[in-house]
Amino acid sequence: MRPNFFYHLHPPTIPAKQARWRYTLGAGGMAVFLVLILVLTGALEMFFYIPTPAEAANSIQTLTYIIPFGGLLRNLHFWSAQFLVIISGVHLIRVVFTGSATHSRRFNYLLGLILFLLIVLIDFTGYILRWDQGIQWALVVGVNLVKSIPLAGESLYMALLGEAHPGSISLIRFYAWHVFGLSLVAIILMVWHIFRVRRDGGIAVPPPALRADSDRISRMTLVRREILAMLLLSGGLIILSIFFPAPIGPGITDLKASLSTASAPWFFLWVQQLLKWGNPFIWGVLIPISIWLVMAVFPYIFPMAEGNETGRCFSKASRPAQIIITVFISLIIMLTLLARWSVE
Amino acid sequence: MNRVLFIASFLLLIAISLAWWQEEQKIIPISLTPAITGQTEYCLTCHADLPEISPSHPIETFGCVLCHGGERLALDADLAHSSMRGGANPSDLSVAEESCGGENCHSGTEADERDHIQRVMTSIQTTYTGAITSVRFTFGAQADQTARFGVSSVTDTTLPSLTGITSLQAFDPQNESNPNLIKFGNNCLTCHINAQPIEGKQYERFTGCSACHTPILPYFSSEDLVNGGESNGFIHRLTTAIPYSQCNTCHNRGNYNLQTMEFDERSDQPHSRAENYYQPIAQFTLCEYTLDCVDCHTRIEAMGDGDIHATKADIQYTQCKTCHGTLNELPLTKTLFDPNDIAFRMALSNPILDLQIGDTILVTEQGEPLWNTRVLPNNQYVLIGKVTRQQFTFHPVMGSNCLQDPNQQESQYCHECHAVER
Repeated sequence: MRPNFFYHLHPPTIPAKQARWRYTLGAGGMAVFLVLILVLTGALEMFFYIPTPAEAANSIQTLTYIIPFGGLLRNLHFWSAQFLVIISGVHLIRVVFTGSATHSRRFNYLLGLILFLLIVLIDFTGYILRWDQGIQWALVVGVNLVKSIPLAGESLYMALLGEAHPGSISLIRFYAWHVFGLSLVAIILMVWHIFRVRRDGGIAVPPPALRADSDRISRMTLVRREILAMLLLSGGLIILSIFFPAPIGPGITDLKASLSTASAPWFFLWVQQLLKWGNPFIWGVLIPISIWLVMAVFPYIFPMAEGNETGRCFSKASRPAQIIITVFISLIIMLTLLARWSVE
Repeated sequence: MNRVLFIASFLLLIAISLAWWQEEQKIIPISLTPAITGQTEYCLTCHADLPEISPSHPIETFGCVLCHGGERLALDADLAHSSMRGGANPSDLSVAEESCGGENCHSGTEADERDHIQRVMTSIQTTYTGAITSVRFTFGAQADQTARFGVSSVTDTTLPSLTGITSLQAFDPQNESNPNLIKFGNNCLTCHINAQPIEGKQYERFTGCSACHTPILPYFSSEDLVNGGESNGFIHRLTTAIPYSQCNTCHNRGNYNLQTMEFDERSDQPHSRAENYYQPIAQFTLCEYTLDCVDCHTRIEAMGDGDIHATKADIQYTQCKTCHGTLNELPLTKTLFDPNDIAFRMALSNPILDLQIGDTILVTEQGEPLWNTRVLPNNQYVLIGKVTRQQFTFHPVMGSNCLQDPNQQESQYCHECHAVER
């Protein structure tokens, strides 16, 4: 039987050991599925969303409360986006900790890291599109962080947002960045990323001669596992959407009004905490970018897993990279908890 | 694997069924698109059984959000109410300008007499400056009785000021050195119309415009306030037919004791309207307890004239002679020829009588129409109670057997003979 289109997207066989759930965590595949959900729900949301300051929050309220299944649609989009950030992070950690960012795969690692950055930015722009009082702090602080960049800040700000103060022009820019600018680049990079996985030999495994286990599974088995993940993920997202609706708030009435409480989206809470410590450019821009840059360059600087170490959990060869990412993630989690704690 | 897939599919089916069930539970929204705003709102989904607030504010014209604020499209109670102005009372003076204002509403021009909010803001009932000035003077905090402080800072917007008081500073008891003044500030500022009243059902009222225009008694019992006056627990009414009992939530309830700087409640137990109206020490005539306060006292007296006044005596001017005249003069009258006369607008907001072009009514010394009166052909007058709708016929002093000195025509002298014995 000739494989159909969906089977054909997969390699005929993959190594059984590296295809296990506990090895991949299903993170990369789930991320792709979440992107599909996001594209679908996002496209449907575009029929209802009105990207003007006066109507943005109202149109979200109409979608949530009036349109049949509109609330479910929005909640699915919201939860898929949150999970995408988490699952992409998990995927990144898994890649580092299983010695998958090898010399030959480091470019794809870089593509993935850029994708992760894009996902966070898409999440942030989507968060801003709510244009309700819940996002006001993050909007004001976020755009001011861009301005704080020495020399290029003002120009970059104008290039990104197109007006001196956030308003109708900025909102439509955020909308354009969210649904087109960032998303299109992300989808292209995602396709490239997946292509590079295939080009680099599929899931990272030791060379055939060094493999202790030569068992392989067929693409039929792989697709069944993917379907199982999709079913469970879909069910989980629907349940979350039913019982934990996406945040919603009254529309912004005065962007210049001072806000007493800081409230960044959860994935930027750690930056919110850093901002308490001093210069916004250093703590809010330079340090986060530096963290990303260090992560981007370490496959090019530190020794990475090769040969028998490839595709092995906690491989010794990539220990420096594992330590660095552990330190970064611990810091980010601690700062996030600190920010969350101080808000409450 | 197939079994696991089947179980996962079943779980997904359950999740989808739950989502469907949740959708079925959604309330069906009731939409309203008021003529003024032209923007759909769904407040009636939950509040359809609230009575219309007043004939002057028809729901089809005003809707809810124009006055109350709130999220007009939200069907979640917390979100829908999150941006309401003044909570349940949009007429609180902190938000009245946004809720009730606008040049076509109650922040119009002085010329078309729609400047209600501006006048209320400077009125003696809001500033409470007379009491503050008097007490500060009494305790030596100021050398004269010049009005300097109000409950909040206020500026006369109708310059040039006819009273010479162009602004008042906010009174802050913490800036006072005399402990009596600090106690006064803490205990005695609950009467101005934007203050929360002290506890007790006899004091129950709202703040701002609703302090007067949303009367609670006799329309609602005090239990209504706890259990929900009208449907959903809200009293939804604005009226110009303000019963004396509403005025009495502040007035005639007791006295502030200058020695203890605490409020002494009146201790008598009134059993009739005559007893209930005024404190035992007061002198009053028959009409002063059979009528309601608003039957005689005018909107300028109650809401101010746009100038900042130092004391109540400076703004309260209606006396017995306003309606009854004096030995030498009949009360002032006016025949209505202009269909835009303010008297018609006032009559429209409380349609107790059918005011017509050509009707002759009494007017006050300041020219305010007593639109609920008529001059009868036999040199008598009739007044229709704005709240009770009772009809009272009365005659002028001139031509009567009154022996009063023509130079002593203030109400206090009328009380000498006409006061009611309690």
